[in-house]
Amino acid sequence: MKNITIKKITIALLWLFIGVHSTMAQDNFKLPAHTQVTYDNGLTVYFVVQNEVPLVHFRAVFPAGVRYDSPAKAGLAGLTADALSTGTLHYSKAQIEETLDFLGASISNSASTEAATLAATFVNKDQYQVLPILAEMITQPAFPEDEFEKMSQRAIAGIDQMRESPRSVIDNYFNAMVYKDHPYANIASGTKKSLESIAASDLKEFYEAHYTPRGTVMAVVGDFDLLAMKQALENLFMNWENNTPPPTPAVAIKVPTEANVVIVNKEDARETTMLIGGVGVARNTEDFIGIQVINTILGGRFTSMLNDELRVNSGLTYGARSSFNALKEGGTFNMSTFTANETTKETIVLALKTYQNIFDGGIDEKTLASAKNYVKGQFPPDYETNSAIARFYTDAFIYGIPMNYIDNFSATVDGLTIKKAKIIIERYFPKDHLQMVFVGKASVIEPLVNEYGSVKVLEITKDVYQ
Amino acid sequence: MKTQKHLLWGFLLLVQLAWAQNKASDVVSFTLKNGMKIMVLEDHSIPNANMYLFWKVGSRNEYPGITGLSHFFEHMMFNGSKKYGPKMFDRTMEAAGGSNNAYTTENLTVYTDWFPISAIETIFDLEADRIADLALDPKMVESERGVVLSERSTGLENSNFRNISEQVKGAAFLAHPYRWPVIGYESDIKNWSIEDLQAYFDSYYAPNNAVVVISGDVNLVQIKNLATKYFEPIVSKATPRAIHTEEPEQIGQKRVTVEKQVSTPNIMLAYHVPETKHEDYYALDLLSAILSDGNSSRLYSKLVDQSQLATSAFSYMPESIDPNLFYFYAVASPEVAPETLEKEMVQVIETIVLEGVAEKELQKVKNQKLVALYNTLETIDGKSNTLGTYELYFGDYKKMFEAPAAYEKVTADDIKRVAQKYFNKKNSTVGYLIAPENNTK
Repeated sequence: MKNITIKKITIALLWLFIGVHSTMAQDNFKLPAHTQVTYDNGLTVYFVVQNEVPLVHFRAVFPAGVRYDSPAKAGLAGLTADALSTGTLHYSKAQIEETLDFLGASISNSASTEAATLAATFVNKDQYQVLPILAEMITQPAFPEDEFEKMSQRAIAGIDQMRESPRSVIDNYFNAMVYKDHPYANIASGTKKSLESIAASDLKEFYEAHYTPRGTVMAVVGDFDLLAMKQALENLFMNWENNTPPPTPAVAIKVPTEANVVIVNKEDARETTMLIGGVGVARNTEDFIGIQVINTILGGRFTSMLNDELRVNSGLTYGARSSFNALKEGGTFNMSTFTANETTKETIVLALKTYQNIFDGGIDEKTLASAKNYVKGQFPPDYETNSAIARFYTDAFIYGIPMNYIDNFSATVDGLTIKKAKIIIERYFPKDHLQMVFVGKASVIEPLVNEYGSVKVLEITKDVYQ
Repeated sequence: MKTQKHLLWGFLLLVQLAWAQNKASDVVSFTLKNGMKIMVLEDHSIPNANMYLFWKVGSRNEYPGITGLSHFFEHMMFNGSKKYGPKMFDRTMEAAGGSNNAYTTENLTVYTDWFPISAIETIFDLEADRIADLALDPKMVESERGVVLSERSTGLENSNFRNISEQVKGAAFLAHPYRWPVIGYESDIKNWSIEDLQAYFDSYYAPNNAVVVISGDVNLVQIKNLATKYFEPIVSKATPRAIHTEEPEQIGQKRVTVEKQVSTPNIMLAYHVPETKHEDYYALDLLSAILSDGNSSRLYSKLVDQSQLATSAFSYMPESIDPNLFYFYAVASPEVAPETLEKEMVQVIETIVLEGVAEKELQKVKNQKLVALYNTLETIDGKSNTLGTYELYFGDYKKMFEAPAAYEKVTADDIKRVAQKYFNKKNSTVGYLIAPENNTK
């Protein structure tokens, strides 16, 4: 594959898998019309009718993310979200699976840092068979003991399996370094130790505290009759009761005051996988679109500065990129790449030098114009599917993204000037006290990284992240 | 009575397909004078379009010494041609708002461009330039070797599947080029020459060896004009030599072990099965779905849920020009010996061989296939990729629209028959991926 870091193509993953007119066309791209309903219990639902295929996508997002875990029971939010499909008041796990599988319906339920999500896609004519099951999973989950035991054992085994791949764990180390005491540092999968301390009763308790209609948002997008769908959702969710008050905000995210380096030793590593960065921005930051344009130039596309230097010019890596991971109260920024053990130092030096260029040299008109065209041109396909549109509405609700984000996207991009770009770089891209994680052979890496901060060495097989 | 009900169910599903926006007749196909086949599907839902270029060359066209060259070539196609020198392909495309990628398989090399409709002529110009006049720059070749070595390394570093599948393929195939990994052997990546690359380009990158699919906010007249202007002048070449090597029939089980620092064993079973154009394809594909798709599938329910011997399990059958493999994969739970898990995996297979599958189970996967097709048709990307896939592997893009009917025809007896025909010990290769300390037996 040419590049996995820019766009993933599943088939290949398994196997080895300007112009004046543009401004006009992309400007015409608008968010499809929606209907919004808020019930007396506080639940907000968005409906969007789209007729391209006879499918419906349902998405429910709950204020029940990993951030609400306590360190002692890390992994609880994830297990609770997973357990929504293990049985309800009227349906066993097997009944749920057999019914939904037979209809070709697919469901997914999991917790990410900010929130938990239950999403499903099904054929429109099946809505009266599918929706009542989804509603029970949301409002009357049973958390059966026997299913919990199996799930818990798999989750514990999954910790060691995950640690076989640097790419699956490196973010956990980085988040622990950057977020420190803030709950965004919580590890979604937990640790073996924390998972062993969690019982089915903990899931029930977590569910009661966090699956509340007041903080929940749903979006239904697809080919359906609007009136009938509104009625169906009302019947299923209007009487969902849970008066637990919404959670309060957490402590502020502190910007690191010193540079830190974590080396994660993987004895049999053939390469070094690395993340370099620091504190980023909240998703509703008013300059979010401008930040995305600048990041496109730095490390968000194939011709970006990082990929050009580290891959195209020097052949050190298959890919180098940068990204902002933006959540509700804040986020992280990082550059990421990997290289053969022997070229570790060369790669770090070149990555840091390239990063410094955005502060020193700034960005020229031609590059800025190219990046603006690029983000505008690549924008509409991001909202092409029912599930993507549903996700926009639920994200807007959870993260406080303005509803005119899509409609105003092109104009906002067009408004970015060189002068503004400079301000954005100085304000949002961390310059000092960079935080670094290297996963690889510690004996190779340790002698190379002292100059970048105080160094700590961890073992990839050990059950800790700091 | 039961059968009749299912027939009716199937009929309803077929009627529903007609409601979906696209029909086979919405796709217009034409062939340029140089033999390049082009398919166009207009879809005005977003102001964007894509171009997929499918080249009939993959790792099956290689031989020892140049293994991995198809994939390496995929990279070199971005590294400069006559009009657009090194870096200019990507820079020009991205400045016009477009992005691209490419992938290589055992059978094909596929290039993908995604762009706002305003960039359509730029895309034709860029593609035509590299197809007609690729310039192999020795400096770019050298730096790209590093990139591909890193791609190979990062796959092996992060994926157990990659580690074991390379070895299982190598054992299962004695003669056919499917025996080596698509990315190639490390020594070949380090040593092929610029002459090897030029010879490959001259053999395979001919307009008559490609199929182009364009979907999105385009109009047919415009596409015909651009194709005539940019693609038609590219000269056709002799048809590449056919791959005539047939894998000899397997005459006994083969076994391989890979040592790697893993927490629990990973197991892969592989059985030789025919090519995609074969009449047994649809039955085998549905069988894979019965085994794998959803938590009610055979492998998940038996191995992960009931016996809890595995933490994950699935089957996989790639689309293929020549006869290939049907894979089973499972990751063991802690303390489970690979032999125990292997025995249970074989038991799941044996049960189908002996008892077949239930009507309802079969109808379930037929329903799932239909929803999968709808999901594909939801995006212009899915449309182009799937149309091209059907054209290349099934011989005709129209088969995409006929797939629900083809699946509907498969009976439970067909499933049992193909299971009996292909899932026997003599036809199998077993791979264990285990920690060195557990490989002392």
